[in-house]
Amino acid sequence: MSKWATIAKHEYLTNIKRKEFLFVTFGIPLFMAAIMGISFLFMGVASHNEVSKIGYIDKTGLFETTNITNFTKYTDEGLARKDLIANNLTNYFVIPENYTATGRILIYSSKKNFADNINIEEKIKNFLLANLLKNEPPEITRRINQPIISEYFTLNENGLKNEDNGITILLVPIVFSLLFTLSIFTSSGFLLQGVVEEKENRIIEIILSSVSHKELLQGKVIGLGALGLTQIAIWLVVAASLILINPAILLAVLSQIHISIPLLLYAMIYFVLGYLIFASIMAGVGAVATTSREGQQIAGIFSLAGAFPLMFAQFIIFSPNEVFAKALSIFPLTSPTAMILRLSITDVPLYELMISLILLVVSAYFIMELSVRIFRASLLMYGKKPTIEELIKYVRQG
Amino acid sequence: MERSVEVSHLSKSYNGQSVVKDISFNISKGEVFGLIGPNGAGKTTIIRMLLDIIRPDSGEIRILNDMLSGELKNKIGYLPEERGLYKKLTVMETLLYLGALKNMKSKDRVSMFLDKMGMLPHKDKKISELSKGMQQKIQLIAALIHDPEFIILDEPYSGLDPVNMKLVKDLIIELGHEGKTILISTHMMDQVERMCDRIFMIHKGKGVLYGSVDEIRSRYGKNTVLLEFEGELKNIPGVRKINNSGNYAELILEQDADPGDILKILASMVRVNKFEISMPSLNEIFIEVVEGT
Repeated sequence: MSKWATIAKHEYLTNIKRKEFLFVTFGIPLFMAAIMGISFLFMGVASHNEVSKIGYIDKTGLFETTNITNFTKYTDEGLARKDLIANNLTNYFVIPENYTATGRILIYSSKKNFADNINIEEKIKNFLLANLLKNEPPEITRRINQPIISEYFTLNENGLKNEDNGITILLVPIVFSLLFTLSIFTSSGFLLQGVVEEKENRIIEIILSSVSHKELLQGKVIGLGALGLTQIAIWLVVAASLILINPAILLAVLSQIHISIPLLLYAMIYFVLGYLIFASIMAGVGAVATTSREGQQIAGIFSLAGAFPLMFAQFIIFSPNEVFAKALSIFPLTSPTAMILRLSITDVPLYELMISLILLVVSAYFIMELSVRIFRASLLMYGKKPTIEELIKYVRQG
Repeated sequence: MERSVEVSHLSKSYNGQSVVKDISFNISKGEVFGLIGPNGAGKTTIIRMLLDIIRPDSGEIRILNDMLSGELKNKIGYLPEERGLYKKLTVMETLLYLGALKNMKSKDRVSMFLDKMGMLPHKDKKISELSKGMQQKIQLIAALIHDPEFIILDEPYSGLDPVNMKLVKDLIIELGHEGKTILISTHMMDQVERMCDRIFMIHKGKGVLYGSVDEIRSRYGKNTVLLEFEGELKNIPGVRKINNSGNYAELILEQDADPGDILKILASMVRVNKFEISMPSLNEIFIEVVEGT
């Protein structure tokens, strides 16, 4: 095994046991799932635990049909009120004389609950529609209830293509690029921490007496890159097993998502290149920084650049082909996140993709070279941070 | 004589400040070589250049008849002055990793070394659980585990308790007998005086003395008197300098002074328990050289 591989293995095995890694890998998805689960739970409680019994007072004389269950007609509002307080009714509503002109419905409930209100309103709506349309055929009633079930297509020279629609098309790329960015920052953050720690506890000198600066950097970048890929693999496996465990709930969501193979492929390429750039930057920062706090501060500036497209995700999502989105998807520090966002929303012209990728590859190469030189020049200058001029000098000498 | 290390015209400056100036020396195979000088003289910088951790501005280094390469690094053992280890790893994990970086992957050999240093019972402990002395032993093992031909020890005695100091000394002697080439860098000159075959003395980045310890000492003449006494020493004619330690003193005589005359004066001044004409210590020579420049 070559020496960089020994280092890569060491970095992988020691970092995979870190609490921070376990937290980001399992804690954050659990946290997200918990938030979604809690809101699901509340909705479930609201709609399932109580069978709603609804009373109504009709002042128009139009609503006689009560073939929908759980609706009771009252002629006296006082009686309905009494039943509501006695909990024989969950709600009652009043249809005023001028209802057909105004559409006003007065709804009374015994407790205040937003989720319940939506639920009740839906039921009242169905009841009203059933009555208003009692003379129409059932298909017409159904269509009036749900007049559109949409399906989108794009038509261009390449032919016809089915498109996603609805909220999922926004959610998927955001979650997707969020996780990728998270993974890039986790791994490159570990790299920074590792370099500064080894500097602080001086073991770096023993390591450099055994391997070259380049081997050390290579080993760290590859080992922690593998860690990032492991993290993504874990997320995919967890997601897949969630779907297998509970197909009923997720099937509805999934029917609208299709992450295409080319998208995944591009995502992987952008992940690897994006990681290489940020890892090299972090290595350089780690070599220059004298304490881990200082390292984090300098690194924060670069991380901010990387997270920039996520902060302005709405602009990219709503106008993916405007100058702003295009610029972010070409500039090397922001392109990994921005391009994945764009790719999942729109057709990115091939030439733009190529420009972005070539720029990313070229700058990854240069930043790595630069980092090796900075690494070499300033790694052992304990306690003093080189000035910008000195750095430029070292890089030239490199 | 086969040469293990050849350093010629080595220079290095940081921020326009010259740290190492035009230094040249050789170390023969199997030699115990002392690189000595006060703190900040440039010793560690020279060592780092030997190991290719930093690059010299100019000059050439050949080690074991080779330019520095990855292969060559496997034949060098290094105990740095600034010491640290991974706190969270166990003793065994640490040594296997550091060994693997030198292409040494034998667990048995690690165990053998741990046993030799009395550390075997601690092999599964984390580094953070070890005492400072124990950590130093681990660092020493890490420097020697891959059976290097050339061993660099930077301030090997710093921070050692007397027991470990003896252990390290014995180990250096043993390695010397095994024919290893050893470079000891230290500012504690009396330590290397008895141990090194030859020395290179450096001051403010410049080489000031180079040669065998005996040769250097005799070059500076038999002008020193070691004295054990009771009483009070005062100025003595013919004595240039007195290093007084209470009831023991080192007297540096003037060039043409006669030790016999000095003894007569001393006898009338204090009670002399011991009087020995000797060569000056490296420490004294060093001070003389530095003050002379």
